[in-house]
Amino acid sequence: MEKESKSKNRREFIQSGVRLSLAMALGSVSGLALSKVVKDDYVWQIDPFECTQCGRCATDCVMSPSAVKCVHAYDLCGYCDLCGGYLKPDSNALSTAAENQLCPTAAIERKFIEEPYFEYIINEDLCIGCAKCVKGCTAFGNGSLHLQIIHSICDNCNDCSIARVCPSNAIKRVPASEAYFIKGDFTKKSES
Amino acid sequence: MKSSQIIKATSYSLAIIFVGLLIWWLQTDPTSDFEVSLDGADNRGSGAEAQDVKIGEYFKQFADDYTEMSETWPRFRGADFDNISKSPVKLIDRFGAEGPKIVWSKELGEGHSGAAIYKGLVYVLDYDEEERADMLRCYSLLTGKEMWVRGYTLNVKRNHGMSRTIPAITEDYILSMGPMCHVMCLDRETGDLRWGLDVAKEYQSEVPLWYTGQCPLIDDGKAIIATGGNALLVAIDCETGEKIWETPNPEGWKMSHSSVMPFTFGGQKMYVYSAIGALVGVAADGANAGEILWQTTVWNHSVVAPSPVCMPDGKIFMTAGYGAGSMMAQLSESNGNFSIEVLSKYPPRDGLACEQQTPLYWDGHLLGIMPKDGGPNRNQLICVNPDNPQEMVWTSGTETRFGLGPYFIADGKLFILSDNGTLTIARPDVKKYIQLDQAKVIEDGHDAWAPFALANGYLVMRDSKTMVCIDLNVK
Repeated sequence: MEKESKSKNRREFIQSGVRLSLAMALGSVSGLALSKVVKDDYVWQIDPFECTQCGRCATDCVMSPSAVKCVHAYDLCGYCDLCGGYLKPDSNALSTAAENQLCPTAAIERKFIEEPYFEYIINEDLCIGCAKCVKGCTAFGNGSLHLQIIHSICDNCNDCSIARVCPSNAIKRVPASEAYFIKGDFTKKSES
Repeated sequence: MKSSQIIKATSYSLAIIFVGLLIWWLQTDPTSDFEVSLDGADNRGSGAEAQDVKIGEYFKQFADDYTEMSETWPRFRGADFDNISKSPVKLIDRFGAEGPKIVWSKELGEGHSGAAIYKGLVYVLDYDEEERADMLRCYSLLTGKEMWVRGYTLNVKRNHGMSRTIPAITEDYILSMGPMCHVMCLDRETGDLRWGLDVAKEYQSEVPLWYTGQCPLIDDGKAIIATGGNALLVAIDCETGEKIWETPNPEGWKMSHSSVMPFTFGGQKMYVYSAIGALVGVAADGANAGEILWQTTVWNHSVVAPSPVCMPDGKIFMTAGYGAGSMMAQLSESNGNFSIEVLSKYPPRDGLACEQQTPLYWDGHLLGIMPKDGGPNRNQLICVNPDNPQEMVWTSGTETRFGLGPYFIADGKLFILSDNGTLTIARPDVKKYIQLDQAKVIEDGHDAWAPFALANGYLVMRDSKTMVCIDLNVK
C-alpha cells in the first residue's frame, strides 16, 4: 500500500514537472511573442510641420519608387475647386486635363462631390513622394496634403538616406507604436 | 555537317533572331498601358442651381439711439482708396502693460467681410449661419450695440468662409454685395431697401471661386459694379436703381475678387479693374462714360484678389496669388487716347507680390506682404520702389513673418494683422522695417484676413468668426 502510494507520488511529481515545464515553455514563447509585439522599436517618420517639400524624399530614398508617399488629412481639406495641391499654379483651367495637373505621375484623383466641393484621393501606387502637391497645398490651401514614410514599404535602414539629406531635419526616429504623424491628429509642437 | 556549315547556320540564325528582336523592340510601345489624363474625368457638375432671392426681404430694428461721431471709413481701402487714414486723431504706438483695449466683440458667421464706419455706426455684411441669410448688420461704433439688420435668405455652403466684402457707405446710401453676387442698396440712416440686383442672374455672371470678394463702389451717387458676363462694368443710379451705363464685354471677361478703383490720369477720370481676362480702364464720366479706354490681356490670371494700385505718374501695379505673381504697367495719354505698356511681369518669388491684400503706396514706395510661394521672402513685409518692384528696399526679416491679413497706415503708424489675430504696430519707413509693438488681440484667432476700418481712433478688425473693436486713442 505504502509502496503504491510512493509510486503514485513519483508519477504525479513527474506529471506535474512536465506540466510545469510545458507551462513555462509556453509562457516564455508567449512572453517573447508579446515582447516582440509591444517592444518599443523605432521607425523613421516625417514631421509634416518641419517638412519644406524640397523633393529629396523622391530622389534619395533607397526604395524605388520612394517609401515616402503623400497622405491626405481629409478633415483639414477645403475640398476646393481650385486646389493648389492638384492644379499647377496659374493653370489654364480647373480641369483634370494632364496639362493642368501638378502631379508628375497623375497620382491624385479628383472627384466632383457636390457644388462647390471636389475630393482629392492619393493613389499610393503612383505616388513617388516628390512633394509637389504638398508644396502647393501648403502654399495655397489648408496643408491637408503631407508626406509620410509608409512602413509597409520602408526598409527602416539604420542609416536612412533621406534623413541624412533632409535640409530641415524633419525626418526623425519615432517609437513604432506612434509610427505616423497624420495632420489633424498630430499637431504642431509648441515653440516654447 | 562540316564545321563551316554549322557556323554559317548559327550566324544566319542569330541574325534572324536579332532582326526579329529589333522589329519587336521597335514596334512595342512601352506606354501602351498608360492612361491619358483628359478633361472631365472628375465628372464636374453643371453648377449650382440659381436661387430665387428676395433681396432685402428681412429687416429688424433693435435700437435707435447711438453716439454720433465725426469720422468715417466709408468703404474698402478708406475714403481715398489708399488704405491710409488721414485722421488727425493720435493713436498709440505701444499697447502698454494692459495690452489692447478691446471695446466690444461680436461673433459672426464664418467669413472675411470687413467693416465700414460712418459717423459712429459700423456696417458689416455678415452671413448668418443659423438663419442661412446674408445680413447687413449695423452696430454702434462706441458700444457695439446692434442697431438693425437687413438681409435675405440664401443658401451658401462653407467654402473657406462665406462673407468676403465690405459695404460702401455715403451720407445717403449703403451698398452691399453678397457672396453670390446679390447687390443691395439701402437708405443709410433707416436701413430701408432702395433696390436690389441679382448680378449673376441679370448678367449671366459666374460667381467667383470661394464667392464674391469684390467690394462695391459708390461714386458720385452711382453704384459701380464689375459684373463680368454680359457686361464688364455697370453704373446704377443709387437713388432709383436705374442703369446709367453698361460696359460691353465682347471678350467674356469674368468677375474677379478684385475691386474697382477710381483713378484720374491725363485729365480723364476712369475706373481701373482687374477682370479674369484683362486689366482695363473704363471712362468714369463724360460723353464716353462706360467705354473701355485701355486694356491689357497680358494680365490674365484665374484668381485675382488684390485691387489695382494706381500711382500719380500713371504706373499701375497689379499682383495676385496662386502663382500669378505681379505686373507693373505704365499708362500713357496722348490727345485723349490712352495706352498701357507692361514694364515688368514676374513670378512671386522674383519681386513684390501679394495674394489677398492690396499693397500700400506710401511715400513713393510700395509695401506688401509676400505670399507663401514668395521664395525666401515668403510672408515677410517688404518695401520696393515702383521703378523696380523686383528689388527689395527692405524686408521685415526672416524672424518677422506675417500671413494673409490686412495692413494699413494711420497716424504715421503701420498696423499689420497676422492670421492668428496678432496685431503689430510698426513705423513706416522707406529705409528699414521698424517694429514698435505686437499683441494678441483675438484669442485663438484664425484666418484674420478682413481689411481694417478705423474712425475716431477705434479700429474694427476680425478673424474668421469674431469681430472686435479696439480703442487705439492716446489717453
